[in-house]
Amino acid sequence: MDISGVIDYLIGFTIMAIIYAIFALGLNVHWGFTGLFNIGIAGFFALGAYTAALLTSPPPDPDQFEDFIFGGDLANQGLLDLGVDAWFFLGLAAAAVVCGLVALIVGTITLRLNDDYLSIATLGIAESVRFFFLNEKWAANGSKGLYRIPKFLGDVVAPENYDYLYVVVALVILLILFAAVQRAVRSPWGRVLRAIREDEVATAASGKNVFHFKLQSFVFGAMIMGIGGALFAHHVRFLSPLTFDPLLATFVIWAMLMVGGSGNNLGAVLGAFVVWGVWAGTQFLPGVFSDPSFRLLMIGVLIVAIMLLRPGGLLGEWRRIVASRPASAAARDSTDPG
Amino acid sequence: MTDSSPILQVCNVTKDFGGVRAVDRCTLDVMPGTITGLIGPNGAGKTTLFNLAAGDLSPTSGQILFDGMVISGLQPHQTFSRGLMRTFQIPRELRRMTVLENLMLVPARQSGERLWSTWLTPWKVARQERQIQARALDVLELVNLSHLANELAGNLSGGQKKLLELARTLMAKPKMVLLDEPGAGINRTLLRDLSANIVRASVERNVTFLIIEHDMRFVMTMCDPVIVMANGSVISEGTPSAIQRDPQVLEAYLGGRISGPA
Ligand SMILES: Nc1ncnc2c1ncn2[C@@H]1O[C@H](COP(=O)(O)OP(=O)(O)OP(=O)(O)O)[C@@H](O)[C@H]1O
Ligand SMILES: [Mg+2]
Repeated sequence: MDISGVIDYLIGFTIMAIIYAIFALGLNVHWGFTGLFNIGIAGFFALGAYTAALLTSPPPDPDQFEDFIFGGDLANQGLLDLGVDAWFFLGLAAAAVVCGLVALIVGTITLRLNDDYLSIATLGIAESVRFFFLNEKWAANGSKGLYRIPKFLGDVVAPENYDYLYVVVALVILLILFAAVQRAVRSPWGRVLRAIREDEVATAASGKNVFHFKLQSFVFGAMIMGIGGALFAHHVRFLSPLTFDPLLATFVIWAMLMVGGSGNNLGAVLGAFVVWGVWAGTQFLPGVFSDPSFRLLMIGVLIVAIMLLRPGGLLGEWRRIVASRPASAAARDSTDPG
Repeated sequence: MTDSSPILQVCNVTKDFGGVRAVDRCTLDVMPGTITGLIGPNGAGKTTLFNLAAGDLSPTSGQILFDGMVISGLQPHQTFSRGLMRTFQIPRELRRMTVLENLMLVPARQSGERLWSTWLTPWKVARQERQIQARALDVLELVNLSHLANELAGNLSGGQKKLLELARTLMAKPKMVLLDEPGAGINRTLLRDLSANIVRASVERNVTFLIIEHDMRFVMTMCDPVIVMANGSVISEGTPSAIQRDPQVLEAYLGGRISGPA
């Protein structure tokens, strides 16, 4: 591989790491800040990806896909003649909205109940979405999948340079989402979520409607995941239900948050890059070591190592430190670190 | 204090846990502005009664009224917003949050609790945060925990956690506070400060207190009237000195002597 090949590879790697970082941010809202045990990230991943893809894809070629019935393409059928590039952004928004709505419905049903119900429900979402797109061929071509999902600004940029554009697009979206999540969790809203994570009964005794805040957290996190799914669709440009298996669409994201530091947004992003680095890097190992099962095992080893050496993850949870009162407090207690 | 109708009315309330009847046709009134004591042997049903009033449990039968309105069956955040606050016998501090954050959580209707406000009007949120923080620091000073403002609440000692429970109630503006053994594990000097804080809140802000406490010296000096529970119902009620002379009360404590004020 020559040097430009290496750079191309690294760009591709970075795009995937950024997309995973977005999922890790979403999971951080759920688990890191609220303690919502979402073990069906793959469901929102797939919903976001398919929503964006269906809104922007040209109709599949009937000669190529025999059992094609419906291929999406609201954009090119003149429903709203905005062109693919505007639909890219509408696709992102729609992915967020669809995931948010599903989270709203499922959360309304399960979040009043015992925590276990939410976990089972998220798992249920993931499997239902997968089976839906597998069995309902009219929706997205079944197991044969959706091909040729359009590129954002694909007419403007030469194919060989496309990833250079896309990495910037993905990075900008990551930064916006990062800023939004950071602002939210460091405000009183996030304080209520962390209180819920610590003790729901105590939070309610402090006057907070625990159910409402949990619901908001669940919907917000799911919307972020939807955007991640949409970005993924326009990057790999091919989706099939098999893309969203629990290992690469749920487990790996959990690994990222655990490794980077649950409850720390920078940690979530860092964890995404580290774990995706391990996953991508191990494919170059010789022989049996490049087998996916071995590569997943390496991620498992990494998690165990982190749990033993740095239980809070690479970056622990952030804590707001407030300067103590200058005169009275400091005078009374000279050992005060403030 | 001229108000003559009770602020809290427990009407014939029963609570069963499976076969255990924790509260048994209990009826009691708490008058506004008072510091009322609630005593009784272990397992008498005192904490369960708090859980019922605050909305952490709902009664098997009977009704609880607060300020003339039925509150039994409401959620805890709903009783809170009606002005009823409680503390926990076993402190429920938010472990991985700082002491200051534990307090800053409490004030109601913070603009920064709305997700969109955190993005659209961050300056407003920040301004309110500064006010709430200043108030929390004041409250910490009242309960002598200022030096621990930045400590994780999970690292506090047992007594400090109890003080934090009390501090929580000073962060809001409740009409009535239910304190579950506020003095347990707190040394004499701090206990005096704690009593002073309760009296001040009672006098200056007209907060009504219902206090469960096993420390008889504390109850007999602080509380009037005192209500005595045993086996889930009220067995006696009156001034501290009347309670101490009541043979039924003495018997409920298995012949144990209730020591008077020092
Ligand atoms: N959640 C519960 N499930 C089952 N039984 C309970 C529950 N809560 C309380 N009880 C039972 O109800 C009875 C009353 O308990 P409660 O905690 O109200 O007593 P208490 O008066 O507060 O006692 P103490 O002074 O020891 O705190 C006890 O027999 C207790 O075992
Ligand atoms: Mg008790």
